[in-house]
Amino acid sequence: MATAQATRIDEILRPVHRWVWGDFDRRVRKLIAFSKVEGDGGRDILRAAELTPDPLLRRLYLEHAIDELRHADLFRHRGAALLQVRATNTTSLFNTNPLPGGHGLDDLTIKGEPDYRLLAFLHVAEKAAAGRFEIYRDVVEDDPATRAIFEEILRDEVFHMNYTYTQLARIRPEGYRWQVWQARASRLWKRYLRLAVVTASAMSAVMLTLMYFVVLAPFAVLAKRAARREPTGWTPMAPERGDAPGSLY
Amino acid sequence: MLRGVCTDMKILGISAHYHDSAAALVVDGLPVCAVQEERLSRHKNDAGFPLGAIEWCMEHAGLEPADLDAVVFYERSMRKFDRILTSALRSFPHSWRSFPEAIKNSLGEKVWARGIIASYLGVPRSRILFTGHHHAHAAAAFLTAPTERAAILTVDGVGEWSTLTVGHGERRRGGAANLRLLREIRYPHSLGLLYSAFTAYLGFNVNEDEYKVMGLAAFGRPTLADKVRRLIRRTPDGAFRLDMDYFEYQTTAARSYSQRFVELFGRPRNPYEPIDVETDEGRRFADCAASIQLVLEDTLVDIARALQQETGLSDLCLAGGVALNGLANARILTESGFTRVFVPSAPGDAGCALGAALYADRVYLKNPDREIPDHPFWGPPVDGMELARAAREDEQLVEELDDTGLIERVADALHAGRIVGWMEGAAEFGPRALGHRSILAAPHAAEMRDRLNREIKHREPFRPFAPVVPLEAADRYFDLPPNGARLGRFMSGVFPVRPQWRSRLAATTHVDGSARLQTLERGMAPRLYALLEAYGRRSGMPVLLNTSFNVAGEPIVNRALEGYSTFRRAGIDLLVAGPTVVTKRARVPAGPLSEAAA
Repeated sequence: MATAQATRIDEILRPVHRWVWGDFDRRVRKLIAFSKVEGDGGRDILRAAELTPDPLLRRLYLEHAIDELRHADLFRHRGAALLQVRATNTTSLFNTNPLPGGHGLDDLTIKGEPDYRLLAFLHVAEKAAAGRFEIYRDVVEDDPATRAIFEEILRDEVFHMNYTYTQLARIRPEGYRWQVWQARASRLWKRYLRLAVVTASAMSAVMLTLMYFVVLAPFAVLAKRAARREPTGWTPMAPERGDAPGSLY
Repeated sequence: MLRGVCTDMKILGISAHYHDSAAALVVDGLPVCAVQEERLSRHKNDAGFPLGAIEWCMEHAGLEPADLDAVVFYERSMRKFDRILTSALRSFPHSWRSFPEAIKNSLGEKVWARGIIASYLGVPRSRILFTGHHHAHAAAAFLTAPTERAAILTVDGVGEWSTLTVGHGERRRGGAANLRLLREIRYPHSLGLLYSAFTAYLGFNVNEDEYKVMGLAAFGRPTLADKVRRLIRRTPDGAFRLDMDYFEYQTTAARSYSQRFVELFGRPRNPYEPIDVETDEGRRFADCAASIQLVLEDTLVDIARALQQETGLSDLCLAGGVALNGLANARILTESGFTRVFVPSAPGDAGCALGAALYADRVYLKNPDREIPDHPFWGPPVDGMELARAAREDEQLVEELDDTGLIERVADALHAGRIVGWMEGAAEFGPRALGHRSILAAPHAAEMRDRLNREIKHREPFRPFAPVVPLEAADRYFDLPPNGARLGRFMSGVFPVRPQWRSRLAATTHVDGSARLQTLERGMAPRLYALLEAYGRRSGMPVLLNTSFNVAGEPIVNRALEGYSTFRRAGIDLLVAGPTVVTKRARVPAGPLSEAAA
């Protein structure tokens, strides 16, 4: 039976993880973000349980989904409990976190995916999560309650990691190792795509912001002047144009 | 070119891109099917293009896209873009943060509705039509209601520019239908956005949790109503305007209320802090909810009363997301002068898919009006055999019974305090479970409410559960105004429980003695009606607790297997789908599970 093991990169980044978890606000934000990720992941796996034709996989997926949804609750309750202890900056707290956490953010498509592909994906994702959670458990040693949550989740993750591999070998006895490699490659590709999207989004935001200040300013003056002239209260409506039902305007 | 005035026209209605995406198919003037995308994609409030819903509708009707005479989108997307751009310009330079995201959202996909529909469905662009957002709302309410003449009131956050419209409609079976919206209140002045600002302030999710504000309101007193009225001023012509110094939704997507709003009402609630109405802070939030609720109701009643006096009509058709506010609907019925108020089963944006298709059929294509069947069951059917197969594979206890045996079996279980997942026929179209995808339980003890909250729904304790009662027995237990039962048909009204029954309906009576009941006509859901009768014979009261068949954060279940997975992980004792009854075993044998990871 395999055990959780942090990747070499995560080991190298251990001081960064310690720094991230050392700050109260960031710790709360991480816990809340994990809650969302685990919840999303749980619902994805639940969907898999509803769609698979394999009775054993249905039961395993269901147990897996229940675990993930329970993890979401654990993270959420811990985050909320920390908030009870000390207020934090709510604006930054509830912004969405673009960083990858678990498989919930990996754009997992369930419908139409064969079980072997899903199992390979889950195995790789669970293994990565288990390794990282092991580091998180170590770096929150000053917070026994949070540490206990990671310990509990780690036990589940090891089971998830193992059953996905065993079942993959069962339903795809030939080529299951290849499926795992494919899942790893797919995960890397998705990370690249996510990075590309974030970069493109940032670039377009910069360009549109420049355009906002450079091009729109004179139009803004006109729009504000027009707004001042607009009556308040009821505005009569023209009849819906039956002769132009194809108009977008 | 579009053909007009012909029989057997096939029209697909679509709502998408903001929240509650949906598709609806109208053939020969009658709805054939309608479903929200979230029920199929299993992502709550799915706002994506409803490809799954469209595919299901087409498959259900046995049609190909080429067979469609028209595809109708529920709003005019360029007009909406005009509003977004104009708002950004008007709030320059404060809108600089939201501008890039708004433009990316709009130009990235939303304004190209025609191209998206054409590319997904492969239909000629000339067959793609558009209606105004509020026209689609109005059509969803008026053209589906059993009335020939009615005033129309639509209220939501915002459509293209309109946030509230009034008008009237006239239709004659077999003849022409006429629907006219006369006046509008325009963005940014919006009752829906005002309510949503308080929803956000109270730590709930906008566009999703507005009903939590309504539930919380019962615990408070409207002590802050005068402060709320500073935010919304009535205009001399009977409309209203918002004081935009208190709001930020026109400048940023991050927060809908401003710092000045916070200075007026105090610190907003952190979403992760539970609300305890026994504490001062909890009471402040409850008072806040009660105050916005009162102001919303007062404003709506005033506008509806003026509309009644202007039109002289006795019926009102009400739609838009705000029409989900059952307290306001009940007050409109009793105080506005209208004799009957009709709210469709899907008054929100999902319902616009059906509204848009009907509007195009009756108004654009001038097809003769037809009476729409008065029920909400337009969604995918449930397959009891699918449930039986899965449950047997999992070694659950499965029975397949005839109708009589099943009703008696389930009534016994309910009477013994069991919780039942009830799936029957086609799924409801709209946000309410009206007896085809419901969780049913005995309504008598408060402990049942607590158990449902603890084991299944995981909801805030201040939120009530709804009762379902046969139409004929409703007056006995609930203090209904004349025609109140009509609002209860789709759970659209909140009414008082008669004081003598409140202790025996403790699980479904809210703290203020009210309930958002469903009044069930036998013809609408005959099996559930029979179950109510059978339960009544055992308990002396033909009333059941009826809540939507889902757990927190998930859409209402659709297929039997979705019901089954919910049954397996939540505290539901019995699951019914068609003729199949599954009883939960205390523990499924671990069997291969323990070996599965070895």
